[in-house]
Amino acid sequence: MAQWRSARQGADDAVRFSRTLLLMFMAISAILIAADRTEDRVEAVTVFRAAFNDLSIPVLEAAAQPLRGLYNIGPWWRRQIELAGEIRELRQEMSELRAWRDVALNYSEQMRRQQELLNLDPPLPRQRITAWAVTETGGPFVRTRLVGVGTEDGVAPGYPALNIYGVVGRTIDVGARSSRILLLTDLNSRVSVMADRSNARAMLVGDNTDFPRLDYLGRAPDLQEGDRIVTSGDDNILPRGLPVGEAVLDRNGAWRVVLYSSATPIDLIWIWPFTPVEAPVDEAPADSVPPAAAPPQLGAEPEQAPASDTDVPVVGASQNDTGDEPDSGEGR
Amino acid sequence: MRASLERNSTWPVLTAMALTLALSLLAVAAPLRLPEGQGFPAPFFPLIALFVWSVRHPHFVPPWLIFITGLFQDLLTGGPLGMWALSYLLAFAIARLRSTEPSAREFILLIARFSVMTGIATLVAWIAGSLSIGQPADPTSLVTEAVITLIVFPAFCWLFARKRERTTFS
Repeated sequence: MAQWRSARQGADDAVRFSRTLLLMFMAISAILIAADRTEDRVEAVTVFRAAFNDLSIPVLEAAAQPLRGLYNIGPWWRRQIELAGEIRELRQEMSELRAWRDVALNYSEQMRRQQELLNLDPPLPRQRITAWAVTETGGPFVRTRLVGVGTEDGVAPGYPALNIYGVVGRTIDVGARSSRILLLTDLNSRVSVMADRSNARAMLVGDNTDFPRLDYLGRAPDLQEGDRIVTSGDDNILPRGLPVGEAVLDRNGAWRVVLYSSATPIDLIWIWPFTPVEAPVDEAPADSVPPAAAPPQLGAEPEQAPASDTDVPVVGASQNDTGDEPDSGEGR
Repeated sequence: MRASLERNSTWPVLTAMALTLALSLLAVAAPLRLPEGQGFPAPFFPLIALFVWSVRHPHFVPPWLIFITGLFQDLLTGGPLGMWALSYLLAFAIARLRSTEPSAREFILLIARFSVMTGIATLVAWIAGSLSIGQPADPTSLVTEAVITLIVFPAFCWLFARKRERTTFS
């Protein structure tokens, strides 16, 4: 044994580097790259990633703690000046927000009355799930964050993630105790949005730059610089009305969005449970439809008149708009 | 006696290597609390760690360790799976085409060899990543990370070389 060990140590210059193994692992790597392609990712890869995240999350959380601590150690006087400035701004904002709070309360009351009149039963708003980002990746290929909450905490794939200013992205690769947040800036991110002022629709497309672009705007979009951009909910991926950012024109004349969420480090994240509206069920075959021979009775109750298949989307739409929608007033 | 010393020195080396590789991987993935879009470009710490250990103890850095390190980096950063594994494997494969290894004291040679490896790893990562996302990626941030890696590497190399001299003459 000692002889074998000495022989190996003596061979430091003549490196033992198996070419067969090297080629084998290179081939495995190439297969993994092919299996993890964005366009057609193999399901097993997603499951494997989620399982790995579950295992690594305790270590990553432990590693993130000292960094958070270090961040909070700063020159005392600088912190004080910053805090004084923040207090001034917050006081001003608070006085402005009081007026908005009254408006919101009025609208809320009006909505409640209208819902009562329409006999609607809005679902209870669900609790948001708070999480801390434990990894931070930029780079040219991927923009994601890993957070320490998963299916055990009620997270499911596709849930919107926000920080205090606006939408950050949505959950993917959800494991039992971990989830990955696909940021709006990631190349694979596509979210339908609209301008708050004009309702002009667009698709917010991430391109791994800091400012995602607005596509599919139409020929003469009713959009102005500084327009507040919110989610439109048209894609049924994110709920309607979540604050996203402000529209800006880039050097080439293309519309882009300065994200509200980029105003602060993406560290504390809220995940909002959101159930997309289910697509209407296929219409029943013609032979199963009862004959239309029965004429409508003149004295029929008005509630019985609308067909049931027209009711479904209306109720669904109201759920989307009112029940699961987080407070969109968190934007600046 | 010599065999006994060698046996005793194996586990500390393995432990140190495992620790440095783990730390290098954590350093790449750790959150720096920077606003999105202003992310600090982290050097390729795992590549530096692998290279330093491959010079100190070549037989402790087999292909499977390079593969595992790259794979862990892909998993921790959420990047395309296999991208860094393939990049590091190819970089080491090409760097080892030379028949003679530079000794730890050949400072300039070590830096030159590492620069070539960093260049290869960057190029392969860009190609593999672009294939994975289905379109050519913007190489700016990757090149920036590579340049920062080359800037910080001499410090690691100098520390390593000094350590090697001390152990050689003691």
